[in-house]
Amino acid sequence: MAHVSASSEQYNYEIIRKFAIMSLVWGVIGMSVGVYIALELAFPALNFDIPEITFGRLRPVHTTLVIFGFGGSALFATSYYIVQRTCQVRLFSNGLATFTFWGWQIIIVSGALSYMLGYSQGREYAEFEWPIDLLILVVWVAYLVVYIQAIRQRTQPHIYVANWFFIAFILVTAILHVFNNLAIPVSLFSMKSYGAFSGVQDAMTQWWYGHNAVGFFLTAAFLGMMYYFVPKQAGRPVYSYRLSIIHFWALVFLYMWAGAHHLHWTALPDWTSTLAASFSIMLLLPSWGGMINGIMTLSGAWDKLRSDPIMLFMIASLSFYGMSTFEGPLMSLKSVNALSHYTDWTIGHVHSGALGWVAMITFGSMYHMIPRLYATKVYSIRLIYTHFWLATIGIVLYITSMWIAGIGQGLFLRAFDDYGNLKYSFIETVVFLHQPYVWRAIGGMFFVAGIVIMTYNIYRTISQGKREAAEIEAKIAARMARA
Amino acid sequence: MSEVKQDKTKQGSVQTTGHAWDGDIQEFNNPLPRWWLWGFYATTLFAVLYWVFYPAWPVGDSYTKGVFNNITYKVGGKEVTTHWNTRALLMKDLQEGEEAVKQRKYMSGLMAASYEKIVSDPKMMQFTRSVGKILFEDNCAACHGMGGAGVAGLFPNLVDDDWLWGGSLKTIQATIESGRRGYMPGFKKTFNDAQMNDVVEYVMSLSGKQVDEDMAKRGGVLFNGQGGGCYYCHTSKGTGMASVGSANLTDSIWTVAKVSSQKTPETKRKVIRDVISSGISREMPMWKARLSEAEIKVLTVYVHELGGGK
Repeated sequence: MAHVSASSEQYNYEIIRKFAIMSLVWGVIGMSVGVYIALELAFPALNFDIPEITFGRLRPVHTTLVIFGFGGSALFATSYYIVQRTCQVRLFSNGLATFTFWGWQIIIVSGALSYMLGYSQGREYAEFEWPIDLLILVVWVAYLVVYIQAIRQRTQPHIYVANWFFIAFILVTAILHVFNNLAIPVSLFSMKSYGAFSGVQDAMTQWWYGHNAVGFFLTAAFLGMMYYFVPKQAGRPVYSYRLSIIHFWALVFLYMWAGAHHLHWTALPDWTSTLAASFSIMLLLPSWGGMINGIMTLSGAWDKLRSDPIMLFMIASLSFYGMSTFEGPLMSLKSVNALSHYTDWTIGHVHSGALGWVAMITFGSMYHMIPRLYATKVYSIRLIYTHFWLATIGIVLYITSMWIAGIGQGLFLRAFDDYGNLKYSFIETVVFLHQPYVWRAIGGMFFVAGIVIMTYNIYRTISQGKREAAEIEAKIAARMARA
Repeated sequence: MSEVKQDKTKQGSVQTTGHAWDGDIQEFNNPLPRWWLWGFYATTLFAVLYWVFYPAWPVGDSYTKGVFNNITYKVGGKEVTTHWNTRALLMKDLQEGEEAVKQRKYMSGLMAASYEKIVSDPKMMQFTRSVGKILFEDNCAACHGMGGAGVAGLFPNLVDDDWLWGGSLKTIQATIESGRRGYMPGFKKTFNDAQMNDVVEYVMSLSGKQVDEDMAKRGGVLFNGQGGGCYYCHTSKGTGMASVGSANLTDSIWTVAKVSSQKTPETKRKVIRDVISSGISREMPMWKARLSEAEIKVLTVYVHELGGGK
C-alpha cells in the first residue's frame, strides 16, 4: 500500500487499516449477536434447544466481540494512529505491530468459539480460559512495547494528553488481566482451570477487574480517542490543559477503588462497600472533566453541528458519557443499588455507556480517520447522517426500555400488600419484562442497521481511495514514460 | 486557580500552552471551571461524611465502625446495640419493620389455628391466599404452572378435583413436606402386542369409552389377574389408591396419558399404550428442608383450595 500516500511511508498506516476494518467487522457481528440474545430473552424458544446458541453461551460471545473485537480493535487502530501522529514517529517495529494484530484476532475468534463450545471461566468480561489468557498477556506486552517505544522515540518535546490516557489504559489493563485470571489449569491439556481465589475474595477480584475494565478499557482509552479526534475534527484547541491533567490523575486514582460497588448487599464486608460507594461518588466530577473538555472544545464552533455529522457523533457521545457517568455514581449508592441491583437498569446503564459513549465516539473517530488512511474523502456524508439518527434512536429505545424494565422490576420486587406479604412473585416480574425486552431488541436492530450502513459507507470509501491512488499512479507512470 | 484573572467566557483571550501536535492540535490553558471544582470538593466532602458515619476504612484486622449511627435489635430476646452493618439492619427490619410486624401478626394467628378453623375463617383465608399465591409462584409454579394447572403427562394438575395422593389437608401437607415418588412399571416385556391392545381396550372401557367388547374382556382378565396384576395398585374397580398414588382410571381425568387432547380413537389408544408400555417414574421433591413450617401450612391450605379440596 506504499502507493496510497507519502504519509504511509512516514507512518505505519497498514496496521491501522487492518485494525480499523476488523473493528467494523467485529462490530457488525458482535452487535448482531447482541440483538439475537435480546430476542432470546423476549422469546426463549429462539434458542431452539441448541446448546451452542443458548443465551448463557452467546452472551459472553456478544460482550467479547463488542468490547474486545469492536472496541479493542478500534483502540489498537486509533492509538497507533494517534501515537504516530502526535509523536511524529513511525512505529518502531512492523513485525511486532503486525503480531499484535494477528494475535488479537486469534484471541477474539478462539474466545468466541470456546464460549460456544461451553468453555468459560465464568468471570464477567474475562470468560477466556487460561490458554487464551496467556496469549492475551503476550499480545498485550507486545502492544505495550510498541506503544512505549513510539513515545520514547518521539520527535515532539511533549507527550500529548491522548497518549497519557492510552498508556494508563495499556498498563492498568495488563495488571487487571494478570490478577483477575490467576488460575490453575486442571491439567496441561485441559481447557478447564480453577481460579486462585475463592468466595468473597474471588468476587471482589472479579469486580475489581470488571469495573476497571470499564474504567480503563472503555473509559480512559476512549477518552484518549476523544482527546485527539474532537479537537482535530472541530479544528479548535482543547479547552483546558489544566483540566485534562487534574481529571486524568483523579480518574485513574479514584477508579481503582470503586469496583466493589458491584457487590453491595452481599457477603462483602460493609466497610468495603462504603469505600466503593464513596469513591464512586468522588469519581463523578473527574469523569465529567473529560466531557467538559470535549464539549467546551466545541464551544465557538457550534455551527459545525449543522454541517458536520461526524461532529454530531462526537457531541452525542460526550453527552451520553456525561449521562452514564452521572448514573453510575447514583447507582453505586447502597440505597439506590438495593433497587437497581440484579435488574435490567444495570444493563441499560452499561449500554448507555457502551452504545452512547464508546460506540459513538468510535464511529466519529473512524469517519474522521479511515478516509485519511486511504487519502480520500468519505464516500457519503448523507449516509453518516442516516447512521447517526439510526444509532441515536436505537440507543434511546434501548436505554428507556431498560429503565422501565429495571426500575419496574425493582419496584415490583419490593412491593408489599396490606398483610405485609410480598405483592408480586418473581415470575410475575419476569412476565412484566417481556414488553421492554421486545423494545430493547428493536432498539438494538436500529443500532445494528446503523453500523451496517457505516460499514457499507466505509467499504465504498476504501474502494474509492484505492481507485484514486491507482489513477494517480497511472498518471505518474504515464508522465515518467513520456519523460 | 483564582489568580488567573482572564475572562473565562471568551477562549480567545486565554493563552494556549504553546505546544502544537500533529500540525494543529493545541491546548488552551483555561482554569478549571468553578462549578466543576466546587462540585469535586462537595463530592469529596460527601465521601468523608460517609466514612464518618459508616464502616469505612480497614485498620489492622479491624475497621472504622462509623459514629452516631448505631442499630439496636434483639438477639435471643436481649437488646443488642451495634455499629451500622447490613446484618443488623436486616435483623432489625425483620423484627420491627412495618411489613414484617403486619405479616407476623397474621402469620402467628394462622400458626395457632387448626386447618378447620383457617378454612372456615374468611379473614384468615384472605391472608392465606395473599401469601400463598407468592409462595406457590416462587416455589411450585416452575413445575405446576402459575395457576397450578400443571403440564399434562409431566406435572400433575392441581386445579382439577382429582388427587393422586389424596386431597385432604393432612395428605396435601404430607405431600409437600416429604415429596412423592410416582412409579408404575413398564409392561412392554410382560405383554405381547395383542395382550397390550386388549389391556388398552379395557382401560378405555373403565371410563365408559366405546370399545371392542371382546378385546376389553380379555384385557380385563389380564388387568385383574396375575398376567398383568394392574389391580394391585389400580384396584379391581380401577379407581386407584391414594396410598400408592395410583390413578383413578374411571373418572375420565387423565393424569399422565394425554388422552383428552387426542382427536381420534386411534391416537387416544396410542397414548395409553405408550404409558402402559414404558411405565412412569416421576418425583416431586420434599420441601420440608426448604420451606418453614408456616410456609408449608400456608401452601397446604392454598393448594387444597386450588383443587376444591377434599
